[in-house]
Amino acid sequence: MNRVQRLLIASTLSATLVAAVPASADIAVVVNANSGIDHLTRSDAVNIFMGRYRKLPTGNVALPVDSASLKARFYRALVNKDLAEINSYWARLVFSGEASPPQQIASSDDVHQLVLQNMNALSYVDSAHVPDDMHVVLTLGE
Amino acid sequence: MPRLLLLLHTRLALRTTAIILLIVTLLGVVFLALAVYLRAESVQREQQSRIQELLTTVERTAQIGCFLGDRHLAQEVTDGLLSNNIVRAARIEAADGTTLASGRTNSGDPDAATVTRDVFSPFEPGTSVCEITVEPDQDYIDELVAQASNFIGGALLLQLVGIGLCVILVVVRFVTRPITGLSHRLSELEAETGQQLQAPKGNRDDEIGQLVISVNAMIDNLVQSLSEERRLRLEREVEERRYRAIFDNVEAGIFELDGGGFIRSANPAFRRLFGMPGETNLERHPVAFASLVNEGDGETQSFVIGDDQGGHDRQWEVALEDGDRKRWVSLILSPLETGRLQGVAHDITERKEAADAAERMAMTDPLTGLGNRRGFDHRLAVMARHHRLYPERCHALITLDFDHFKRINDTYGHQVGDRALNHVGAILADLVRQRDYVARLGGDEFVVLLEGCSERDEIESILTRFLERLRTPLQADDGVEVTVGVSIGIALLGVDADDPQQTVQFSDMAMYAAKRAGRNTWRFYGDASVANAD
Repeated sequence: MNRVQRLLIASTLSATLVAAVPASADIAVVVNANSGIDHLTRSDAVNIFMGRYRKLPTGNVALPVDSASLKARFYRALVNKDLAEINSYWARLVFSGEASPPQQIASSDDVHQLVLQNMNALSYVDSAHVPDDMHVVLTLGE
Repeated sequence: MPRLLLLLHTRLALRTTAIILLIVTLLGVVFLALAVYLRAESVQREQQSRIQELLTTVERTAQIGCFLGDRHLAQEVTDGLLSNNIVRAARIEAADGTTLASGRTNSGDPDAATVTRDVFSPFEPGTSVCEITVEPDQDYIDELVAQASNFIGGALLLQLVGIGLCVILVVVRFVTRPITGLSHRLSELEAETGQQLQAPKGNRDDEIGQLVISVNAMIDNLVQSLSEERRLRLEREVEERRYRAIFDNVEAGIFELDGGGFIRSANPAFRRLFGMPGETNLERHPVAFASLVNEGDGETQSFVIGDDQGGHDRQWEVALEDGDRKRWVSLILSPLETGRLQGVAHDITERKEAADAAERMAMTDPLTGLGNRRGFDHRLAVMARHHRLYPERCHALITLDFDHFKRINDTYGHQVGDRALNHVGAILADLVRQRDYVARLGGDEFVVLLEGCSERDEIESILTRFLERLRTPLQADDGVEVTVGVSIGIALLGVDADDPQQTVQFSDMAMYAAKRAGRNTWRFYGDASVANAD
């Protein structure tokens, strides 16, 4: 493969990637399939992830989990805020101690594991790659 | 207070300042009120916007606090708000009506207008999560307004005082002092010497300079008219002395009459002439001119009272009784002004007497002292006038002629003849009355005019007495006795004729008839013999 051919292939690939990202951009809020929660409103999602509600509609204590790889996109889609703002929000609440931020998990596999193990866990994944054992309660369009 | 009023009344600078200050004060009060009002408005607005800013500042925290229902955070927000002077009370009320936090610094008027802001969820802009109510501290705002007002008022007061001081200084420096200086210099000025007023240095070209120029012009005029006045007075004094000298020393009498005919002044000559005591004060005791004059004063009266002579002089003569002698004075009166006459009186007694004597002489027969032909003609003319006026009165005209007078002259000489003529004349003059007239017409011819006498008996009685006395012989020088005979003719004016000349003629004819009848007798023209003789 000469250089010209490689460049062509790369550009074609990147063009394909760029076109594919918006198609799979939606973020799905997911829970354990057995959690008993069928559906959440966006408002419910905001209240839970931003620390307002500590309980799920089922009455169990909610355990929101932030997935590091998708965090920025998720908050942009949910409350239209960037991470700095979200961090500053939580920083204010450190002193009052009334609310605490979602648990931070770096790897998406770990998130997957946590949701599978904890009935009350609540997280988000790319809607294009939702594992079968997770239940989507809300899809956020980007 | 009266002292202040007096000061204001007497000090231009103070008065000007007071008026200006009054105006400035009035305007200042208006402006102050306006400024305070506007300032209050703006302070109010400022505080409102400050509260809004405060709310904006705490809004994000409040949003979070409300979103989470976090009372601590909400309390933090209200405490933060209350830490501002401007906020009296703050309350955060959640959407469901529960009060998350509230605070109040002091108990003020709870009715004050509050500021309320809806707080939305930080994540869902359309969702209201709570409401912040802030009550502004009106007392503090009022205090701010009062402070601002005090500052404006103070500034205005300072400005007022400054303006007042400046006005006083300016008026004193530029108006009062130059005027005071001028006034001092003016009062010390010796205008009679032609001294001029100097304008203050800085005021030569302004209104004060103009004033000085005007005053100098006035001084010039005054000095000029003063010296003119002085010159005229001097001239008048000389004139008066001259006139006084003439008045006192002249021979003619000079006097002045007023409108009532009273003598106002008279010189010594006049006093001598009219026999007035020299010390009579005419100013205090006016003497009526008429009381000094015996004859002709009527004219004086008419002249004085009539006063219609149009400024012309008038001259006439008056007679004065001076003891037994009559004095004649010629008067010339000229009007000086309305109600004032000047008169000059000359003593013309001697001239008049001389003229009278000449007149008498011309009509007198030098030999007998009786009238001559001229005198007779004059008398006859008077008689004719009289007869024309009173034709009913009759007068007798008697003509006498000596019988053989030529023989007496020839025999005894002219001297005896003349004595005979004198003798006859004396008898005739003795027989007739005062008002009758005897004249020698020439030679030995005499006439007698008996005024108002037409009775024959009366005439005859006179003639009888005449002839009787004529019979007494005339003693000549050398013892010779001479007897003269006279033929007499009588005619009556008004009976025989109405014309005097004709009467003379008729009496002549009657005289010739007497001669024819044998001399030394008389005949009336009315007798038939006379009329028929010719």
